[in-house]
Amino acid sequence: MTLSPSRYLVPLIAATVLIWGFVSLNSAGVESRPLALSLVLGTAFGIVLQRSRFCFLCNFRDLIEKRQAGGIIAILVALAVGAIGYTTIFGAWLPTPALERLPPTAHIGPVSITLAIASTVFGIGMAISGSCLSAHFYRLSEGSVISPFAIIGAFFGFGIGFLTWNSLFLAVTTNAFIGWIPHHLGYAGGLTLTLVLLGALAIGALLWAKPQATEAEAALTLETGVRNLFFKRWPAIISGTLVGIISTLAYLRVAPLGVTAELGSLARTAGTAGGIVPSSLFGLDTLRGCATIIKETLLSNNGLFVLGIIGGSFFTSFIAGQFKPRRLKGSDVARGLVGGVLLGWGSMTALGCTVGVLLSGIQAGSLSGWVFLVFMCLGILLTWRLARVFRISL
Amino acid sequence: MTKFSRLLTTAAVSVALVATPALADDASPLVTAEWVQENISNPNVRIFEVSVDTGVYERGHIPGALNLSWHTDLVDTVRRDIVSSEGLEAILQQAGVTEDTTVVLYGDNNNWFAAWGAWVFDIHGIHDVKLLDGGRKYWEAQGLPLDTATPEYAASTIDLPEEAAPIRARLVDVLEVVEGGADVSLVDIRGPKEFSGEIFAPEGVQELSVRAGHIPGAVNFPWSGAVQEDGRFKSTEDLKAAFAAIGIDGSKPIITYCRIGERSSHTWFVLSRILGYEVKNYDGSWTEYGNSVGVPIDNPSGTVWGRI
Repeated sequence: MTLSPSRYLVPLIAATVLIWGFVSLNSAGVESRPLALSLVLGTAFGIVLQRSRFCFLCNFRDLIEKRQAGGIIAILVALAVGAIGYTTIFGAWLPTPALERLPPTAHIGPVSITLAIASTVFGIGMAISGSCLSAHFYRLSEGSVISPFAIIGAFFGFGIGFLTWNSLFLAVTTNAFIGWIPHHLGYAGGLTLTLVLLGALAIGALLWAKPQATEAEAALTLETGVRNLFFKRWPAIISGTLVGIISTLAYLRVAPLGVTAELGSLARTAGTAGGIVPSSLFGLDTLRGCATIIKETLLSNNGLFVLGIIGGSFFTSFIAGQFKPRRLKGSDVARGLVGGVLLGWGSMTALGCTVGVLLSGIQAGSLSGWVFLVFMCLGILLTWRLARVFRISL
Repeated sequence: MTKFSRLLTTAAVSVALVATPALADDASPLVTAEWVQENISNPNVRIFEVSVDTGVYERGHIPGALNLSWHTDLVDTVRRDIVSSEGLEAILQQAGVTEDTTVVLYGDNNNWFAAWGAWVFDIHGIHDVKLLDGGRKYWEAQGLPLDTATPEYAASTIDLPEEAAPIRARLVDVLEVVEGGADVSLVDIRGPKEFSGEIFAPEGVQELSVRAGHIPGAVNFPWSGAVQEDGRFKSTEDLKAAFAAIGIDGSKPIITYCRIGERSSHTWFVLSRILGYEVKNYDGSWTEYGNSVGVPIDNPSGTVWGRI
């Protein structure tokens, strides 16, 4: 373990900025309180992502290549806990799950060929750039040399997504349908089906995985407790449960989790101002999703949520000594930009990403979340396969 | 007095206060946050939230309040029309509203849609709807409690009159003013740039008209000019003076309009319910008038359709 000043100075700066942000937003009046809450939730989310390495691609790769199931189990637990949480809230807000009236602001998006294509492209972008967007945000704190370029690429990918939106919408999305599982099976039936599917995936993952020898757990003392909290990777069940809880609380108090809205609205604002993006995007503002929000103010709930992710992960990453940038290579820039463009285009066209569509969607009982999951995995596997054929290391 | 008996006395006084809710000032169209707080459990008061943003009610509303979704409950989703008398009747029956119930509406964005709700209710015969002065903004700023439970009330058998109240202006009424010489004031409550025709509509708005500008003879009074910083309406004197300054003093009938007729119902509420003037709201508004064939417009900024 190296003991450099930055190891404690950076977390101190991150914590100070986050606390200052929270206090100033929280005391700025009623309208700013959700912003303060978004910052806190984002910070919590960033800490959990960083401490548990909750990265969709890394976890999928661990399962496929190393046959380790822990990370995937964490994702499945997050989906299950969030699905229980969402269903509890839905039952209170909307006692009858009718399709005419969907639960307010939940990411129950349209299912169409467009979604399948966009999810596949998003998966390809993940495989090329090494992460999904939420992981790129937290991996900034680990000194990833690809992530900054991936985020820049995603910004442009969003712009391209806005350019292609109208023609895709007219070709396909107008014929899309909303698949909200509770509408067909009721809340109890919908939740049961979701949990059964997640359970089946967990069993499949565990059957495929090779048993990992775990080290004997040290007796809990203050010292081992601190080590578990700040230096060791958090266990899958705990991190999954925490993500599920954060998802539920975010939906209850502010909005469903998502990390693309701010980036998308920045791209849309810039593109519209530059006269590149069409001023009218058909149907976009009436569809449910993360990437459909129009930017109106400098500070937004989603923007603060993302800043929280970055700040929170910087806090824990430096303490754990996980800020390890390597020398930047040309291929990193290319992978980041190309992968990022695909991530941006995919998440704009799918109306969200692994968090906004997959996580928030499946938790809300939306078919769109499952479609995203399936085609994203296909996109990743396809890319890995091609990379092997062409002997490109990803 | 022992501590225990003091506690009992306090409890008894509190119960007495709760048991005798203050009556709303029947003459006033507004109720205060304090009054609403005292009347939360009053069976003769029914509170509805009508907010612009979805999900606001669900994430915390005034305890006991019911939700009215403006884009499904209060409009006819197929015709361009407000909810029918039967539709509103069904909503009110389900909410347990009777002829003796005091209906209070409130919402976000300075009661914008709550005022529109009051206009819709008024058309269908609930003439004394009250607005919570300051709406959500003021309620939250005061740190008053919010609840997430969705209440249910025993259904009532309220029967609304078939006859609609004469507070809705149609295109023919407006043309009667513009071309027929009817002595009526027109109040355009959109922003000054929309009024002058510099822009068609605010950014991001889908419903547009072929031409920009305003109805000839209309005066401009942006709707938010009627509220204070804390969300409550300005005082009656201030409102009266502000409107008198642009020639609106109640000496003749008034028609309010905006782009699609919702914001202007806020001004309708101010002029009609607070100041007591004779007012109709033109809900066809600029999207109907500016798209109509063969009607004159006023376009001071020179952006008339067809001119390059």
